[in-house]
Amino acid sequence: MPDEPEKKDDVVKVNFDFRRELAEKIEGNLASFCYQCGACVGDCPATMYSDTFNPREIMLKVLYGLGDELLGEDSVMWECTNCYNCHERCPQEVKPVEVIISLKNMLADRGIYPDPVAKVIKTFEETGRTTPLSGAVDKQRERFGLPPLSVVPMDEISLLIEPAPPEGEDN
Amino acid sequence: MGPKAIDAGRHPNIELLTYSEVEEVSGYVGNFVATIRKKARYVDHTLCNACEECVKVCPVSKPDEYQMGLSSRRAIYIPFPQAVPCSYILNMDDCLGNNPIACGKCADVCEKKAINYDDEDELVVREVGAVIVAIGLDVYDPTEMDEYGYTRHANVITSMEFERLICAGGPTAGHFVRPSDHERPKRIGFIQCVGSRNPKIGRPYCSNICCMNTIKDTLLLADHYPDTENFVFYQDIRAFGKSFEDMFQRSKETGTRYIRGLPGDVEEDPETGNLVVTVENTTQRGGNGRSGLERYELDMLVLSVGVIPPKDLAKISGMLTLSKTSDGFFMESHPKLKPVDAPTRGVFFAGFCESPKDIKDSVCQAGAASSRAGALLNAGQIQIEAITSRIDEIECKKCGLCAKICPYGAITWQKGEVATVIEAACAGCGSCGATCQFGAITMRHFTDDQLLAQVRAILARKPEDKVFVFACNWCSYAGGDMAGISRIKYSASNRVVRTMCSARVSEDMVLEAFRCGAPVVLVSGCHYADCHYINANRQTVVRVQRLWDKLEKAGVRPERLQLEWISAAEGQKFAKVMNQMEELRKTVTIKEIEHGREALKPKPKKAAKKKEAAATAG
Repeated sequence: MPDEPEKKDDVVKVNFDFRRELAEKIEGNLASFCYQCGACVGDCPATMYSDTFNPREIMLKVLYGLGDELLGEDSVMWECTNCYNCHERCPQEVKPVEVIISLKNMLADRGIYPDPVAKVIKTFEETGRTTPLSGAVDKQRERFGLPPLSVVPMDEISLLIEPAPPEGEDN
Repeated sequence: MGPKAIDAGRHPNIELLTYSEVEEVSGYVGNFVATIRKKARYVDHTLCNACEECVKVCPVSKPDEYQMGLSSRRAIYIPFPQAVPCSYILNMDDCLGNNPIACGKCADVCEKKAINYDDEDELVVREVGAVIVAIGLDVYDPTEMDEYGYTRHANVITSMEFERLICAGGPTAGHFVRPSDHERPKRIGFIQCVGSRNPKIGRPYCSNICCMNTIKDTLLLADHYPDTENFVFYQDIRAFGKSFEDMFQRSKETGTRYIRGLPGDVEEDPETGNLVVTVENTTQRGGNGRSGLERYELDMLVLSVGVIPPKDLAKISGMLTLSKTSDGFFMESHPKLKPVDAPTRGVFFAGFCESPKDIKDSVCQAGAASSRAGALLNAGQIQIEAITSRIDEIECKKCGLCAKICPYGAITWQKGEVATVIEAACAGCGSCGATCQFGAITMRHFTDDQLLAQVRAILARKPEDKVFVFACNWCSYAGGDMAGISRIKYSASNRVVRTMCSARVSEDMVLEAFRCGAPVVLVSGCHYADCHYINANRQTVVRVQRLWDKLEKAGVRPERLQLEWISAAEGQKFAKVMNQMEELRKTVTIKEIEHGREALKPKPKKAAKKKEAAATAG
């Protein structure tokens, strides 16, 4: 592999453990089929506005198994907007966005997520919604002739998201 | 190509049937009978001298298919200037002259009286000894890849359209202009692999010709218009043929920029009609951590489209009992050793319909195909392996099942008549032998008696220790050889019986193995779409599924019969399967084996019962 070595005279060492861990998260171990054509990057809104976010490079790092870099404290993964454009463009059906979502999950497992994400999680745990309800929302819905929002069955949701007793296998 | 076609048209030993379609092919090697529909041309080409008077008066205007619809033609026209024979044809769907009162202008001006509105299709029959299939290709239509905006942006064109635009015989007489404003484009982009190497749209294969076509196009542009700037967006440039790399380097020398990265998005500037392409230059990772996202404003964008199997492929393959590889092109008899032979004897391939290839390779293959056909016909007789099928006229119950399942159509049968085998067409797979319920078919050298004797001999002593395997000659048995040659270790309990095809393994053979005390039986063949006998192993699947039902009914664990596809190269897989079978064997108890022996005993036939009854009565 030509470019991409992070430290100049260091040989990139493929971390297969990380790749195995990821393969369990995402069905089919799709990233292995990436041939680095860059079609995902050309249509990525996050790349357009960020100097550091590049889905092709994320796939390359996944291929190398550079887990430490991908799952570091300052991970770029949260810049992904989940827009699924890369999923549409990828000729190899790598589904970069799903790989990235899996990486986000792995980050969350390690307790690494930025404050806004923490806020969303907290809101969800409390209300069953990702955005808090407000009177303004109800008014707006009324104006568009939409029925009021239905009540969230919190008991069911808390049952779904409560950590499983034996091993911490949550989502 | 033009002069070649004219030569062929004039050759005394070549009969050229243009504007014709093959309707049906029957028979077998050396004795094919082809029924061909010569479509009505409405112009007698022996009279027509291509004076063009008719074209001048024809009032109809239609998009010209040859020019990719970029210019128009009349209802009476010559498809392209080098067409053979050089005579007009009249497209009746477009013509107004069906009713001479409505138009009939062309017939009025034709001095030769060559135009006949009442012309009809004609069916001709030709007896031929060999068939060469050279039905070519279709070009991928990029409409579904909407991100490139082929249907939305005027100046996004395909490589085929580019070809017409830059051709001196094209709609613009070689003046290279772009569709939106008929101005000459100065900045031209090419996107590679449109419809190739893309499993998502069902085209996972490399189309082989598009890289070199684009490189040629950039050189043409550089030659005609040195002030144009060319940009090629690619994922890999595959310049592997003789002097191809040289051409690639020359293209770079002329200033064409090669950018490694497939564009994600194409936008059109509504004012200018220019196209803005966003692409990551994957080899140009800018320093200071910036990603290599680049934007190019282009006057014209050429989609380097891939190729797809011709749409008539299925029709031809039905006529000649051919099969396809997973990419949809015709499957050859052997990918390395018989690259131009079809699985059906006496049929050969040339050109694209077998796989994507360039002109040079097509010419090579055409030469090879005609040589193979020539050798076959000049010999006057053929040698076939002595493994063909033979039908016993007395035993045959005239059911016709064998004729239905023969992948080669080598068995002829009519209701109420004994089936007969055309030995020259039979390849010896043995599907018919395994299908015949009446023991009327003898597969030479793989007879029922021979195979059953092998089963009994193998399982004569200590059958409970053995993994019983049926392996097909071409793949699974060869896979076993590969495992041996590669010195791969695997359990030594297997005993292999070779048949030509897995479809030769009859229900009775498998049941006999269980009756002889086999704990487990494996039926193995070539991969499902890779059968060396066209599609005979579909019969294997049907039969094994039926056997599973039978075993279940008899209270025998169906898992004891396994079906696996192992190719000749898969020594590893052969070893793995043998180990799995060994594991499975260990789970089978002596009690189960004994139950199987009893439960699968053949039931006395009704006729035999009657006989017995008669005998006792008598």
